[in-house]
Amino acid sequence: MSGSITWADVVSLFEARNVALLGRTIGLGLGAASLALVFGLPFGFLVARTNMPGAGLIRPMGAIPLFLPSLFIAIAWAPLVELRGGLAAALVLGFSTFPLVALFSARAFERIDAAKEEAALLAGGLRSVLRMELPLVLPSALAGASIAFAFAVNDFATPDYVSSVGPKFNVYADEIFASWNVTSNPGRALITALPLIALTLLTLVPALALRRKGNLATQGSAFRAPGPLDLGALRIPALIFALVPLSVGALVPIGRLFLEAGGLPAQMDAGGGVDIGAAWATLQDSFALALERAREDLANSILFSVCAALVAVPIGLIIGHAIERTSRRFGRMLELLGLLPLALPAILFGIAAVFFWSTPTTADIYDSGAMAVLLFAGRYISFPILLLAGATASLDRRLEESAAIVGAGPIRRLLSIVTPELRGSLAGSFVLVFVFCMRELDSAILVPAANHTAILRVFNGVHFGRDEYVAALALLLIFAILLPGALWTLFAKKRLEVLR
Amino acid sequence: MPPAAIQIQDLTVHAPNGPTKSRPKILGPISLNLEPAEHVLLVGPSGSGKSTLLRAIAGLNQPTSGTITLQGDLATDGPKQLIKPERRKLGYLFQDGALWPHKTVHKTLEFVLSAAKTPKPQRLDKIAEILELVELTGKEERLPSELSGGEAQRLNLARALITNPKIVMFDEPLGPLDAPLRAALLERIRFLQQKQGWCALHVTHDPAGAMGIATRTLHIDSGQIVRDEQHSSNSQATA
Repeated sequence: MSGSITWADVVSLFEARNVALLGRTIGLGLGAASLALVFGLPFGFLVARTNMPGAGLIRPMGAIPLFLPSLFIAIAWAPLVELRGGLAAALVLGFSTFPLVALFSARAFERIDAAKEEAALLAGGLRSVLRMELPLVLPSALAGASIAFAFAVNDFATPDYVSSVGPKFNVYADEIFASWNVTSNPGRALITALPLIALTLLTLVPALALRRKGNLATQGSAFRAPGPLDLGALRIPALIFALVPLSVGALVPIGRLFLEAGGLPAQMDAGGGVDIGAAWATLQDSFALALERAREDLANSILFSVCAALVAVPIGLIIGHAIERTSRRFGRMLELLGLLPLALPAILFGIAAVFFWSTPTTADIYDSGAMAVLLFAGRYISFPILLLAGATASLDRRLEESAAIVGAGPIRRLLSIVTPELRGSLAGSFVLVFVFCMRELDSAILVPAANHTAILRVFNGVHFGRDEYVAALALLLIFAILLPGALWTLFAKKRLEVLR
Repeated sequence: MPPAAIQIQDLTVHAPNGPTKSRPKILGPISLNLEPAEHVLLVGPSGSGKSTLLRAIAGLNQPTSGTITLQGDLATDGPKQLIKPERRKLGYLFQDGALWPHKTVHKTLEFVLSAAKTPKPQRLDKIAEILELVELTGKEERLPSELSGGEAQRLNLARALITNPKIVMFDEPLGPLDAPLRAALLERIRFLQQKQGWCALHVTHDPAGAMGIATRTLHIDSGQIVRDEQHSSNSQATA
C-alpha cells in the first residue's frame, strides 16, 4: 500500500466531475443547514424561554434526532414518501442535525439577562423581546447551523442509502471512498479529500468564533436568569411547531421501526387486515432473533463506545482545559488542532487508520478491538475538547488560582478542583462520545476490527434484504444509544451539559 | 537581620494578550519593600492596579519587567516565573472567597494541608486549631453554599492561614460584608496577625475601617504609588 501523491492527483481535483460533486455536496450541506436553522432556532426559543406545554420534556427529547443514526431516519421515511435524491438527503440530514441549532440557541436564549428582556417587554411586548433577542442569539444559532453543514457535507451513509432506493445521488465523500477503493492509495484519497477538509474547516472555524461572540453578547456581569415568557393563545400552535422536527427526526422513525419489527407493513402489503396478536408475536420474535444473531455485535458496539469515551474524555479534559488556561495564541492553536478530527471526512479517517495501523509491527492492535476504540476515540475527541474548553471558560479561574496558592500543582488542581466542578460537562462529553461512537458507520466500514458492530450489521441488513429482524436490531441499538443520557437525565442531580 | 518579606524592584505589568507594544500598561514601574509583621493597606480607585500588584506577587499574572523577591528568594524576574505560585507559600484571600463549591469546610482545609504535604496525623489537630481561631468549630461538614457571608470569609481566612504563611494578601475580601461583620473580622485578623506574625498586604476600599490594624498605607493611582504613609502607633502594636 503506497501513500505517494502525484501531480496528476492534484490536477484531477479540478476535473469537471470533481467540481460538480463538490458543488452538489455544498448544496446538500446548505440545504441541511438551512432546514436545521429554520426549525432549530424557534425550537430552542420555545423550549428554553416560553411556557409552551411540555417544554421541560420536549427539550431533552429534542436531542434524539441527532443521536439517532441519520441512516435510520432515511430507512424509516423511504417507504412512507416518494421523495428521493438530493432533496431527500438534505431533508434527512437537516432534521437529523436540527438539534445542534436548537441546543446552541436554547443555551444562548438562557444567557440573556432578565433585565434586558423585561425592558424590551415593557417597550413592546413579545414582538419587541424577539427583535431584541434575535441578534444576540443569531451567532450561536449560526454556529449550530455551521456544524450541521459540516456534518452534512461529510456524511456518506445517508446519500449512499438514498442512492440505493432511488436515482443515484453521489456526493464528495463517495469520491473519496471511490478513489481509495480503486487505487488503495491513501495519498490519493487525502488529496481528493482536501477540498472537503478545507470546506469543513472554513465552516467550523467561523462557527467557533460565532459561538464565542454569541456567548459574550449574551452574558452580563450582574446576570439574572429570565423567567418563561407567556405565549398566550400561541401555546398550542407553538407545541405543534416544536413537535414537527421531533416527529420527523425521532418519533416517526422509531414508530416506523416498531411497526416493521412487528411485521405490520408486510401484513398490510399482503392485503390482509392488521392482526395485532400476530404483530405482537412477530415483534417478540424479531427482538429475540436480533438478540440471538447480533448479541456479540451489540456488545462490541457498547464496549468499543464506552472504552472510546473513557479514552477521549480525559484527553479532552486536558486539552480543553489547556485551550482556556494557557496563552491565547497557544490556546487558539490547540483549539484548531482539536477541531481537525471533526473536519476530516469519516471515510478519510478510516483510510488513515488502515494506512497507519495495518503494518506488520502493529498487526496485533490492528486486528483487535483496540483498533476500533482508537478509531472511535480519535474520530470524536473533538467533542470533549470543545465542550470541556467551553466548560473551563465558564469556571471561575480563581478557584484554580486559590488552589495554586495553597500549594496544589497543576495535576492536583485538575483532579481535585476542575474535575468535580465540571462533572456535568464530563458526563455530557462521555455521553456525546458514546452516542456518536455507537452510531459511527462511515469510518468503521473500512476498518475490519470495527466491522463487528451493531450499526454495521444494520447497514448490511438494509442493503442485503431488510426485514423485521433488522428493524428490531435498529431499535435495540437506539435503546442502547439513548439509555445513558436518559438515565443521567432521570436520576442525576446535575444537568447533563452537552453544550457550553 | 531577616530579609524583607516582599521586595519589589521596578515592577511593570501590561494587560495580557497581544503584542507588548500595543498592550496598555496597568502597573508600574513600582519599587517597594515590606518588612515581616507589617500590615500594609493598599488603597486607590478602581482599576488603579491594586489587585494586579497582589496577583503579580502571588505569581498569578506575568509582569513585563522588574523583580519580586519573597523572603530573600527571587520569585519573579521580568516575565520569567522563577517560583511557581504553588511554591511561593503565601496566604491569599480572594474577593468573594473563591471557595471551592464542592468541598466542605473540613475537606477544604484537608486539601490545603495535603497540598502543603503536612503529615496526615497532624492534619486533624491543625484543622481543629484553625477552626477554633476563626470560630467555625462545628461547621466542618458544611459546604460553602451552606455558610453565611461572614462564615464564608472566616473559612477564606482559615484556608489562607492554616499553613502558617509568612506573607498574607487580602484582595478586598471583606468588601461584600456589612459594617459590623467587617469590624469583627478585622479584629479577628488583627488578633491572628499578632499571634502568627505574618506580613499582610491588604487591598481595601474602606481604609478608615481597616486603619486600626494598618502599620502603613500605600496610595496607588494609575499604576503608581503616589503616597506612602506610616502609622507608627499600630507599628508598635503589631510588632
